Amino acid sequence: MTGVLLGLAVVFLLLNLLAGLWRIAVGPTAADRMLAVLLFGSTTVAVILIMAEWLGDGSLRTVALLFVVLATVVTLAFVGTVRGGEGS
Amino acid sequence: MSVGVLVDVMLALALVGLSLRVVTGRALFRDMVLFILFGLVISLSWSRLGAPDLALAEAAIGAGLTGALMLMAYRRLVEGGAEDSPGRRRSFLALPVGVLSGALVAVIGFAALGVERVPGAAGTLVLEELPGTGLGNAVTGVLLVFRGLDTMLEMTVLLVALLGAWAVLGEARPGRLHQVDRDTPLVAALLTSVSPLTLLIAVHLLLAGTDSPGGAFQAGAVLTGCGVLLVLTGTLRPAVAAGLVTKLLVIAGLTAFVLIGAGALAFGRPTMALPGTWAVYLIETAMMLSIAVTMTLLFARSRGLYPERR
Repeated sequence: MTGVLLGLAVVFLLLNLLAGLWRIAVGPTAADRMLAVLLFGSTTVAVILIMAEWLGDGSLRTVALLFVVLATVVTLAFVGTVRGGEGS
Repeated sequence: MSVGVLVDVMLALALVGLSLRVVTGRALFRDMVLFILFGLVISLSWSRLGAPDLALAEAAIGAGLTGALMLMAYRRLVEGGAEDSPGRRRSFLALPVGVLSGALVAVIGFAALGVERVPGAAGTLVLEELPGTGLGNAVTGVLLVFRGLDTMLEMTVLLVALLGAWAVLGEARPGRLHQVDRDTPLVAALLTSVSPLTLLIAVHLLLAGTDSPGGAFQAGAVLTGCGVLLVLTGTLRPAVAAGLVTKLLVIAGLTAFVLIGAGALAFGRPTMALPGTWAVYLIETAMMLSIAVTMTLLFARSRGLYPERR
């Protein structure tokens, strides 16, 4: 039973990503799109953490850890690259 | 239909949909962002398929390197005035390449469907022989013990890539890479908290790699993420020439491999026969350092790096 619920939680989070995709398609600014990427990153972390429990594979938690720490890299690269209103 | 199948179908659809958008899209920045997402979904797929080693590698490279590389490339394009030209050139090769690639995937897929389990295949042999190596992680076992030569050649490829980049770089002065000032609010705090963490995680991955998912490649990629952070904030500046330490670090992985691999001959054992677990740790550490330094140098388009003095 717990397995099914965890699986459903993964499905729900994956559906959430659709909302992020919509924001990326519509924009309008580059910053909106970048924030959607960060939202994607956080949701991915959540999905992986649930998967670690669901599939019974604890080493997946390390994958989530990597995503959390390295999310800063792309953020910093973005801050220096594009001003808020620029980009399409 | 079980929930597992539903998740699989969603991941597969997301992969195909995202890749189609990335290939056919016409807005540069948006497609770049979609490509970063593509990496995230790939990592999710590897996790779902029960391949945490690959998920780790994809996470480290996709999150730490590819995104930053593309953003840098984007900045250069914008500065060069090539922002989203509406009539992007169409290539006549696109259709044949697409059709042939599709055919290749289909053939491999059909072939894989019909494959029967062969007794004594390499994979089962590795799992049988693994306890004798003293390693708990089959991937590390394959990379260092069973197929050590391949891994050594991979390190050579990395070295050749760096040498090629240096050759193309010529005598040109390194460009301005430093993106964000450390005086920007939060950046200094971010650096002081994140860079030690990346070091910690890299070492953890390296040590854990002998028994659980992880290893030199993932650890090196995480360290590269740290290097990229330092380059982006101008804490490490591109230097005109490579110092001795840089050169030694770049060849460390290959050197350790060759010395230990050839040293086995002196003791009358076959080439590349590793003398024990300590050799695995030694080679992996050297490989991690080489990978991190090489990739950071490639990212910084420079021959060396020096710390900024304030």
